[in-house]
Amino acid sequence: MSTEGQTKGTDSAARKSGPLVAITRWLENLGETAFAYLLLTPVFILLGSIALYPLLRTLELSLYINVLGAGDPEFVGFQNYVEMFTGARDSDFPGSTTFLPAAETSSSFPFVHIDGWLRSALVVTLLFTFVSVFFETIIGFGQALLLDQEFRGRRWLRTAIIIPWAIPIVIQGMMFYLMFHPSTGFLTPYLSSIGLVAPTNTLNDPWSATLIVIVADIWKTSAFMALLILAGLQSIDRNLYDVARVAGATRWQQFKMITFPLVLPAVGIAVLFRTIDAMRIYGLIDSVSSCTVVPSLSCMVVETFNTSRGLSSAVAFVTAGIIGLIVTVVIYQQYREGI
Amino acid sequence: MATQTESPTDDANRSPLQAWTHGVITDQEKQDRLYKALFYVAAVFFLVTTLFPFYWLLVLALTPNSSILAGDWSLPVIGLEFPHPQGFNVVAFVEVFQQVPFHLYVFNSFVLAVTTTIIVIAIASLAGYVFGRLEFPGRGPLLLGILVISYFPPAAFLIPLFDAFLGNAVVIPFLGIEVFEPPRLVNTPGAMIMPFSALFLPLSIFILMTFYGQIPDGLEDAARVEGTTRLGALVRVIIPLSAPGVATAAVLTFIAVYNEYFFSEIMALENVPQNWSPLVGGILSYQTQYTTDFNLMAAASIVGVLPMLILVVVAQEKIVSGLTAGALKE
Repeated sequence: MSTEGQTKGTDSAARKSGPLVAITRWLENLGETAFAYLLLTPVFILLGSIALYPLLRTLELSLYINVLGAGDPEFVGFQNYVEMFTGARDSDFPGSTTFLPAAETSSSFPFVHIDGWLRSALVVTLLFTFVSVFFETIIGFGQALLLDQEFRGRRWLRTAIIIPWAIPIVIQGMMFYLMFHPSTGFLTPYLSSIGLVAPTNTLNDPWSATLIVIVADIWKTSAFMALLILAGLQSIDRNLYDVARVAGATRWQQFKMITFPLVLPAVGIAVLFRTIDAMRIYGLIDSVSSCTVVPSLSCMVVETFNTSRGLSSAVAFVTAGIIGLIVTVVIYQQYREGI
Repeated sequence: MATQTESPTDDANRSPLQAWTHGVITDQEKQDRLYKALFYVAAVFFLVTTLFPFYWLLVLALTPNSSILAGDWSLPVIGLEFPHPQGFNVVAFVEVFQQVPFHLYVFNSFVLAVTTTIIVIAIASLAGYVFGRLEFPGRGPLLLGILVISYFPPAAFLIPLFDAFLGNAVVIPFLGIEVFEPPRLVNTPGAMIMPFSALFLPLSIFILMTFYGQIPDGLEDAARVEGTTRLGALVRVIIPLSAPGVATAAVLTFIAVYNEYFFSEIMALENVPQNWSPLVGGILSYQTQYTTDFNLMAAASIVGVLPMLILVVVAQEKIVSGLTAGALKE
């Protein structure tokens, strides 16, 4: 640690005067803790007003109805949450009230009736998250293994693989919109002939649009996975491979016994990061299809916050709660590993 | 060579495929060759899949809109359906700017991104110095708090922020005490720069913390002995020595703001550049107003994506190191 030179600056500054000098002297004489908190003040102000305050205020608003109406807001406790889960407020959401057509079959599940909006949103968000993160992990792993090799043109392959990650979401959405729009998409006839997407009105068909959104997300974000896994791969001690080779291990054995177990923690962290990130999905849906066709949780917040603010806040807080749960798992794991 | 270890009769009894598989299993050299071939197949596969959407944009931008709507992608001689430019309609790249003032949207994006980057780097520099170089009570929990906040979805912040930016009074949650009435910020850069700064601040803090923490104490002490203040040492010694780290944080923040969707779309009430609507608004206005000008949508996307392409090619190393450092930090 650097020792605090409490007297150093003051000696020379004491001979001068003026407000600037006074402030400098005061700063220099602050203890390390006070100095640290002083320098963190901008962070506290920014995060406090833009993140912490809205989070608490959202929780408060979610306990009221008639926030936007002419009369006074009325405190209703958890009514918004209850009604949102039972589907009593489905009429507050725009568009049709079904995401998945088979409401009869789905009612055999106790919780996931897929005919209500919140349940649709939960299903869409979780489906999107699991499927896209699953494939991103596999593809990202493959890309990382490629980039871990020494070969000519490695830099260029890496550039090509990273580029999708740096594409604005709206342009990513536009790319896939143009690839699957019935008027332009050359892929749609082929994909619909094998039953993957709807032949007409593809981007307004819930299943097709969800599939396209998932593919678009995999295209963009696998690179992020690849970079994190690559960092894990490159931290493996290369001597292990020399030992294995001398012992006569095949490449597959080397992968199974050395690479895979050693890179697994990095993969785990990457998966958690991506899961948290994927749960926020909004922009891609909005630009490829529409929030009324593929309702994610964030979508529902945006669709309703101008009409029924209490309900919208409840959805927002449920979203935050789900993510908070995953974050808790992450932190608990970090804590167990002893940071 | 490959077959030298086997007797000719062995080989004769096998079908060609069997012989080849047997060779691969037993012969190291064949194994390596197969491995190499698989490697190149995978590399080409990833190249094609990542770059194809860009090719598709280029095809659509260069093809006149009437041909796009005709929807015939068969190649001239072979007749096989394959997307290829039908014509060389470069005019689309000019029309993009005539149909809507696309350059103004891109300009807005640049202003927002640069301003946010400056704010984030300034605040994160102070915080990175504190977390990277000082020991004080509460350091761990504070760091954790910043990390946790950065995980929450923008949707969880949207409603109260939107209210406040509309000029409604800010109320202390659960107490009902009105604090102050903020100015109306929607349709101004402030309504976007503030959420952007908060959203992307944590990543920069973690990157700068790592870099600032690596500067040897001796260098800072030497500066202090010369009579520099603590902040002076940060500005004159630590930040210049951590220039690569600062550049990394700046590049990542710039990209993140340029690519942001959520607040960019919502905080400008209409998709017009006068309301500080950034790139998102420009692209979406093609999608919503000129619904059949597919060649212009593609051309606009290419124009909008160019700055990012250049940035990735130029600053690739920084992006890679920053992403991995920021994510694997904690």
